[in-house]
Amino acid sequence: MEDWIIDLIKVVFIWVWCLLIAVVMTWVERRASAMMQDRLGPNRAGPFGLLQPLADGIKLFTKEEIIPEKAKSILYVLGPALFALPAFSAYAVVPFGDKIVLGGKEIILQVADVNIGFLYVLAIGSMGVYGMVVGGWASNNKYSILGGLRATAQLISYEVPLGLALLAVVLLYGTFSLREMVFQQSGTFLGFLPNWGFFKQPLGFILFLVAAYAEASRVPFDLPEAESELVNGYHTEYGGMKLGLYLFGEYVNLGTLSAIIVTIYFGGWQLPYVDMSAFLGPVAYGIASFLVFFLKQAFFLFLFVWVRWTVPRFRYDQLMGLGWKSLIPLCLVNFFITALLVQLTV
Amino acid sequence: MPKPVVKKEYPLTVRVYLIEIIKGLGLTWKHFVKNIRYSFRKGPHTVPTTWQYPEDRRPISPNFRGAHMLMLNDRGQELCVGCGMCARTCPAKCITVKRGKPAEGEEDRYAGKTCCEDFTIDMLRCIFCGFCEEACPKGAIVLGQGHELAEYTMEACIYDKARLLANYEAARAAGTLKPKPKKVPVDAPPPKAAAAKKSAAKAAPAARKAAKDANGAGKEAKSPEGDKK
Repeated sequence: MEDWIIDLIKVVFIWVWCLLIAVVMTWVERRASAMMQDRLGPNRAGPFGLLQPLADGIKLFTKEEIIPEKAKSILYVLGPALFALPAFSAYAVVPFGDKIVLGGKEIILQVADVNIGFLYVLAIGSMGVYGMVVGGWASNNKYSILGGLRATAQLISYEVPLGLALLAVVLLYGTFSLREMVFQQSGTFLGFLPNWGFFKQPLGFILFLVAAYAEASRVPFDLPEAESELVNGYHTEYGGMKLGLYLFGEYVNLGTLSAIIVTIYFGGWQLPYVDMSAFLGPVAYGIASFLVFFLKQAFFLFLFVWVRWTVPRFRYDQLMGLGWKSLIPLCLVNFFITALLVQLTV
Repeated sequence: MPKPVVKKEYPLTVRVYLIEIIKGLGLTWKHFVKNIRYSFRKGPHTVPTTWQYPEDRRPISPNFRGAHMLMLNDRGQELCVGCGMCARTCPAKCITVKRGKPAEGEEDRYAGKTCCEDFTIDMLRCIFCGFCEEACPKGAIVLGQGHELAEYTMEACIYDKARLLANYEAARAAGTLKPKPKKVPVDAPPPKAAAAKKSAAKAAPAARKAAKDANGAGKEAKSPEGDKK
């Protein structure tokens, strides 16, 4: 097989996989939230309501496409695309498995093993805000523009702790390649813990997690789209599949962020203490590594839902205060401690 | 004087907020696990907080005031005598009664000497107050447990006599008839009156019984307690 065909297959596979995760996440979000709040949630379409996302999708697709009269129509249409595209493309550098041998050819389970994959993720991750701002601006609606403004301020503030928390990880691993980072997390740390970034960077992990929630504008930092105050913020004026793309993009974003958390802090596809490649065949190992990665990712996806239905939304000044007055100093402290320890041990 | 605002000082463990979030996560997790377990339970009404209506139906109180019915007595005779008390007392003016005489040879179908030829209730106007039931001297009109009263046309919401009798049959078949009201003990007649009726005292119980039969022929057979009294 040609290399480009393999690459194409990987791209299509990851694209479909992202979509699938997003689709299932809409169902998980609704059913899990219901279970947490002593409700039932959608349980009519199919077994356990599993076909509910399908029904929603059909509804969104068959809705009338409305562009408000006073909206700036080109930007208005561009907004959802700008939001969803970075969410998908960030997944390109995520190593979602080790390698699989098919037909005597070794295929790495990653679309592109870029040696600066880490920077790519950061760069693409901050592109998502354009979708929100453009959508909010183009809608020509006061709530939407407020949502867009909030998105801008929030993402700029939280970009800093996000980057600083990750910088400490870079110091630790000494590489920008996400694949290389996963390899460095094999084995054990201090003799009994898995050699995961989480155990080496507990503070860094928490800071990154908080910043990631703000980055994905999820509850408790969902101020750009706060339903109760801003009538869903930047997507007030959207309907039909354009709204669907925003909602989809959000879940794809969650999937990507979870994948990055797993890659950087939780050892990627590796199981703790067990080396799967030692006793599994080359094909089985490829599938098993993919599944392990997916399970870890699924946990963080669930955590997003879990936190959403536990913590109330922050006030805007609280959000800014937390970002600038707590997270950034803590990130710097974490950064200096890491630097010191790396300097002492190397 | 307004209450002075005291700014509460929280300890560091609370101000960090992370521990509190973890506690909260524990709480939601508890509910999550509990409800997941419930949702795998077999049978109706699995999650205790929610009744899934078409499948799960809540038990209805016997005193529920739902769709009306025209009662029959134990011998299958219509109780209504067409007096129109219900129509008179109805605050929504939704009952129309037409009094009539039973046709020749059909006297057996009715408990009283007269009957209602026509009995119409406009369910679109009814407010389910139950005054008709209270006003009825024969206990002929009763509000049952029927509560799924939606229809496709407005005409179908106007219940005629046949429908009201059918309601009774349905309720009897389902065993959801209202329990018979408890007899309220009547005070014994004052001694003077008793003395005056001394001569008739011997025959009194029998007479009273006869009077009752004549009076409330429609009333269901007396309960054993009633007989003792």
